[in-house]
Amino acid sequence: MENFMELLLQPLRDFGITILQFVPNLLAMLIIFIAGFLFSRLIKLFFLRIFRIINFDSWCDKAGLTAIIRKGDIWSKPSDVFGSIIYGFLIILFLVIGLSALRLPTIDNLITQFFLYIPRAFSALVILIAGYVFAGFISRAVLITAVNSGYHYAKILAEAVRLLLIVLILAMSLEQLQIAPGIVIAAFSIVFGGIILALAIAFGIGGIDAARRIINSGESERPEQPKQPKQNDEKKNDKEREAEYL
Amino acid sequence: MADFYQNDLIITLHRLGNPGLERIESELMEFTRQRPVALVLPALVTEFEGEAIKGIVAELKKVRYLREIILSLGRANDKEFQYVREFMSQLPCEVKVIHNEGKRIKEIYATLERNNVWPGEDGKGRSAWISYGYVIANAQSDVIALHDCDIVTYNRGMLARLCYPVANPNIDVVFCKGFYSRITDKMHGRVTRLLITPLIRALQKIVGPNPFLMFLDSFRYPLAGEFAMITDMARTNRIPWDWGLEVGVLSEVFRNYSTRRVCQVDIADNYEHKHQLLSADDAQKGLMRMSVDICKSIFRFLAAEGIVLSDSFFKSLQVAYIRLAEDTMVKYEADAAINGLKFDRHAEASAAEAFSNAIKIAADSYSENPMAAPLIPNWNRVTSAIPGILDMLKKAVDEDNR
Repeated sequence: MENFMELLLQPLRDFGITILQFVPNLLAMLIIFIAGFLFSRLIKLFFLRIFRIINFDSWCDKAGLTAIIRKGDIWSKPSDVFGSIIYGFLIILFLVIGLSALRLPTIDNLITQFFLYIPRAFSALVILIAGYVFAGFISRAVLITAVNSGYHYAKILAEAVRLLLIVLILAMSLEQLQIAPGIVIAAFSIVFGGIILALAIAFGIGGIDAARRIINSGESERPEQPKQPKQNDEKKNDKEREAEYL
Repeated sequence: MADFYQNDLIITLHRLGNPGLERIESELMEFTRQRPVALVLPALVTEFEGEAIKGIVAELKKVRYLREIILSLGRANDKEFQYVREFMSQLPCEVKVIHNEGKRIKEIYATLERNNVWPGEDGKGRSAWISYGYVIANAQSDVIALHDCDIVTYNRGMLARLCYPVANPNIDVVFCKGFYSRITDKMHGRVTRLLITPLIRALQKIVGPNPFLMFLDSFRYPLAGEFAMITDMARTNRIPWDWGLEVGVLSEVFRNYSTRRVCQVDIADNYEHKHQLLSADDAQKGLMRMSVDICKSIFRFLAAEGIVLSDSFFKSLQVAYIRLAEDTMVKYEADAAINGLKFDRHAEASAAEAFSNAIKIAADSYSENPMAAPLIPNWNRVTSAIPGILDMLKKAVDEDNR
């Protein structure tokens, strides 16, 4: 009977011990959450202040970052958006740290993966931002050059260059994030290769007449003078030969 | 109008014989294939409570040559904005309503301000300016026509005659302003009759022949709010956000374009809209505020032309103005008599005295700060300061209208 009671009570005792062991972890997690929440808010306020001092919003407006944000139908100030991103990132970070306080093997595994992924996400973000600014710069340079050269479709050309660069940048970011890298590389190769091939064909077909003109003009411009003396020499030789024969 | 007189500076297009609205509209259908027209309507939400806007929309329903209509709505909340959108959706062409109090457009204004591009205070000038920005961003129209939304006597012939000179590729006109008479049982248009014309002529007496003053004097109704222009003009011209809007627009047209490419067109036999009180005792309200802003606008432009405006200049101006205003009153009294219209000589004289006071207030204000120009920068400068602003504006308006 005693054994039977032991059988009944032991799991309950074990459960109680587990709970007692778990409660400090849970408390630690809650404390980390609350502290993280407060810390994240402080950091957000700190960054908002820094953004205001360095006139970050105005810089974003001029660099075209605000226009990107607006394309996503987000109408807050760029500093608020970036402040919220930093805040969100810190909240996730503290959530992960808090969960690690629970000391559950599955969560520990996930956390390790999360921390390993952070550098990739960061570099993808840097590629996106720098790439967008670079694409804008190149597109503008193409536009100015094309307009100054009197090219009729300058704007379309500049937009096409910009689109190509954005496709390239997106592919680079996705590759960096390791989101279906095989598919991304294949899709990028097909799309980019297709565009280049289409441009090459278009240029080839559209440029047949121009190429013919260039070739013809090249031929007509080939110096005739050196030939003439040769012909004269040949004629002279013929005459000499004729004289010799006679 | 029964004459065909042309002055030597700008083109005047009269209403002669029976011009035929159907013919003009059918020609406009052809012209607008090459030069699409956008109609800009600055409006306050309160105007949708009146009858005038219903009449305007009923007439616009019959118009087929417009590519797009942009209604710039002021002082409306989200619910009122949705009501206006629904109300305007009965029109046959594409209609976009700009929600000036909405969060997206407010953010556009905030973006401009933080980049030191002051979009001005809320009003018709800013409403028109933001609408031009949308027309440029949308890149659909080569011509912009604009008229108010409080015209009681509106008919679609007004719009057709306004658009015709700029839309017609055979007439080399870049800017066209409407003119009309404003009568009921008496003459209206006091600011034009008793302030603008005598003031311009008084200035001409003091300054001597001046191309800008001659240009202003060429317009039969310089304060008419109805005009059409090429879209490029919206890129290069600055717009005043205060009551000096009409004179300010003419100043910019004079500054940037040849006067030979400017015309005025007779758009209606009569024109009736909301009347404003004179508010002779309060220069911050009604016609007095409008008069002060108009005078300041003219003074600033003359100063920019290199004319020295001193205290003695302003004193002479006031005296010369009063004399000319009195002479003008006599002419209008005779005009009213022959046409059987009422003419309150005392009310007209009181208005002229109030306008004289407005000139003094404007002169003082100008002398205090000659550089305080209430001009919204042109769109070329705005896009130079914030390269993505037109895309943002288009996105904001399109999202609001989705």
